[in-house]
Formats: sequence, C-alpha cells, structure tokens
Amino acid sequence: MELLDRYLQQVKRHLPWLRQDDIIAELRTNLESQLEDKEAELGRPLTEAEVESWLKQMGPPIHVAARYMPQQHLIGPTLFPIYWYVLRLTLAWCAILYIIAKVAEEVASGVGPQAALHAIVQLPWVLLVNAAIVTFVFAAIERIGKGAPQKLFSFLGEQPAWPQGVVSPFDASLDESDQRRSYAHAVAEVIFGWLFLVWLLLVPHYPFLWLGPGVKYFAALPYALASVWWTFYWCVVALNGIELMWRITDLLRGYWRGPRRAQRLVMRTVGLVPLIVLLNAPERVFVLLKHPAIDAAAHGETVAQINTAGYRAFEVVTAILLLQLIWMIVRMSLDAYRKRLAAAR
Amino acid sequence: MTLAENLFENLRLELRRGCLTLAVLAQLRQEHYGYTLRKALAARGMEIDENTLYPLLRRLEAQGLLTSEWREEDKRNKRFYRLSGDGEEIFDRLLKEWDAINTAINNLL
Repeated sequence: MELLDRYLQQVKRHLPWLRQDDIIAELRTNLESQLEDKEAELGRPLTEAEVESWLKQMGPPIHVAARYMPQQHLIGPTLFPIYWYVLRLTLAWCAILYIIAKVAEEVASGVGPQAALHAIVQLPWVLLVNAAIVTFVFAAIERIGKGAPQKLFSFLGEQPAWPQGVVSPFDASLDESDQRRSYAHAVAEVIFGWLFLVWLLLVPHYPFLWLGPGVKYFAALPYALASVWWTFYWCVVALNGIELMWRITDLLRGYWRGPRRAQRLVMRTVGLVPLIVLLNAPERVFVLLKHPAIDAAAHGETVAQINTAGYRAFEVVTAILLLQLIWMIVRMSLDAYRKRLAAAR
Repeated sequence: MTLAENLFENLRLELRRGCLTLAVLAQLRQEHYGYTLRKALAARGMEIDENTLYPLLRRLEAQGLLTSEWREEDKRNKRFYRLSGDGEEIFDRLLKEWDAINTAINNLL
C-alpha cells in the first residue's frame, strides 16, 4: 500500500491544484478496488515487486496526471489552420520588411559589410520573436475559445457570412497552370504594347506627350537631365520592343493562352538593366544645371541634393525589384520541386 | 514498432476513441463507479485501460453527459457515475449515428 501511496503522491504533484484531492481520492478508490480483486484472484496479498510491476504498467505519474488536464494542446485543430496561415504570412512579411529596413539603413548611413552580416545573423531571431508572439496570441485565443466556443466560431467566421463573405475573388496568380487569356486579350496586349512603344519613341521629340502643359514649366527651370537618362530611355525602349516582339511571336505561334513563367522571369531580370544603368551614372549625376556658370551659386546645392536623393531612391527601388525577382525564382523552384515530387508519386 | 505498425496503432486508437465514449455512455445507463465500470465493459469485450477511462469519465461529466456522487459502499467512499438527462439524449442520437455508420460500412464490405 505504501507504494501505491507514493505513486498517487507523485501523480498528485502534476494535477491541477483545484481538483487534485478529488481526482486522487477517486483514483485511489479505483486502484485499491483493482488491487483487492487481484489479491482475491491470487488468494494472497501482492508482493511489493508485484505491486511495483502493476504500477509500472499504469505508466509514469506525469503521464497519468496529464490525462486529467483539461487541455492537451496549445492550439487546437479548429484554430490551427488559421494559426499556420497567419504565422507564415507574418514571417514572410517580417522578413521582407526587415530586409527592406536594413537595406534602407545601409543606404542611408552607409554602414559596412560587417553591419550587413550582423543584420543577416539577427534575422532568425527577429523571426523567432515574431513567431513566438503569433503563437502566444493564438494560444490565448484558443484558451478563451475553450470557455466560449460560440465566440471562437464567430471569430473564425464560420457563422452565416460563409460562403459569400469568406470566399475571396479568384486569384489567377495562384493557379498559373490554369491561367488562360482570351485571344482578344492577347491581341489587345499587342496593340497597346505597340501604341505604348510609339508613344515612347515620340516623347523625346514631343515632350508635351509626357509632361503635358508642364513642358513650359520644365523648360523654365534651371535644371536639365543628365546624359544617363538617354541610356536609360533607350534601355526602356529596347525592353518594350523585345516584349512586344515576344508577344507578337507568341500570338503568331499560338502560345497566347498564358504568359510563360520563363518569359516573365527573363523580362523581370532584364527589367533591372535600366535601373543598373542609373546606378552606374557617371559621378551619380542625374540632374545638372543648364547654365552652371550663372546658376551654380543659387541652385548648385539643390542639384547636389536631388542627385544624392535620386541615387538613394534608385538603390531602394533596385533592392525591392531584386527581392521580388528572388522571391519569384524561389516560388518557381518550389513549384517545380513540388511538381517533380507529385510526378514521382 | 515498424512504420506500418505505428500507422495501424494510430488509426486503431482514432477508431476506438469515439467508440469508447459510446460504450461508456451505454454502460452508464446503470450506475457504476470507475473500477466496476471498467470491469463491466471488459466483460462485454470492451477493454479500456484505467488511464483512459477515469479521465474520460471526468470529461464526460464536465460536458454534462454524466452525473456523479460520492457514496460509501463496502466501507469505502466511491464516486458513482450515471447518465444525465442530456447524456441520455446525446446517447440516443449517437446510437442512431452509430447504427447508420455500421450499416454503411456493412454495405461497403
């Protein structure tokens, strides 16, 4: 009996404080009855070794007590899919915003590679902290929901709003295999692509096509665009020309139903070229004075500020586009891997 | 335990979980305390280990399906359980569900 007492004492330690006496009293009654039955069967009292063996079969006290706990999970199956979705979303946005913030900081203060390395090492911790916060919030919702499940369900949106309110509009980008364009859509893309290219080629000769009435104001300014903009301009023209030719070829060959991912990847990659051209502008000059000898004193400082700010802005835009490109490559690789796995099965 | 055995064990436990509740509710149309309930179930072929049965009784009581009272029997205080009013209603509905599943499975086999 002493062994049973000790065993129950161990179980009690792991039970909820308010109910432990009641549970132990009941467990004791049941186990003692069981013990008596065993002894009646054998016609003698159980030896200490036999009691020990029997208690071992019951399992470790902590496991026995765990069965009486009201909640065995942090986040239950009802809430878990939403938790998992929010967690992934939070971590993805967290990583993106962290990287953008660090890039901006790097750009603004010009910190060195050591700081960049430090920022990369810090990233997992930032993600971990955010994951912990999300988990904590959902665990709290789960606990509250246990006490009032009807509130939890209304929080989850399982009430009358479904399906009208919950089903979001179809996102074609999520199902690219089924993404289909009509022939009219493909033709319209070619026509508008052509018109845009014509407009682009006319802009240098007829600036009002770009600036409208602002041309006069721009002409009156003491500033002029640096020659790097011409290189930028021809890069943009070339890119649009390539894309237009590609679309026309696809249309003629009958591939107009869906934009091919490889094609979009190539266009996104070469789309970085104009920005790289700007980032490599001689002496980082994008705007200069029409009459330096006359206006240098009055406007020289402004021009310098515009060029510095412009350079920083182009750096940030390039970084964002680069991240988008990396994200696209990652998604494509994961999709390809998923398809390969599915095919292997 | 091999992977297949582990999988089987998980599926078996999953299958049994709901059945155990039904069996306990069925048996508690008569009053029992934990140990005699366990014996009664075992005598009818439904073995349940104590670590599953006793906490299950607590949960069912907390859900309002069972009522319980402490009473002395054979010079020992015991907690006796039986089906509550709500429990009887739920049990009837579960039994119908069980019959429907049973019929469907038999039709499939």
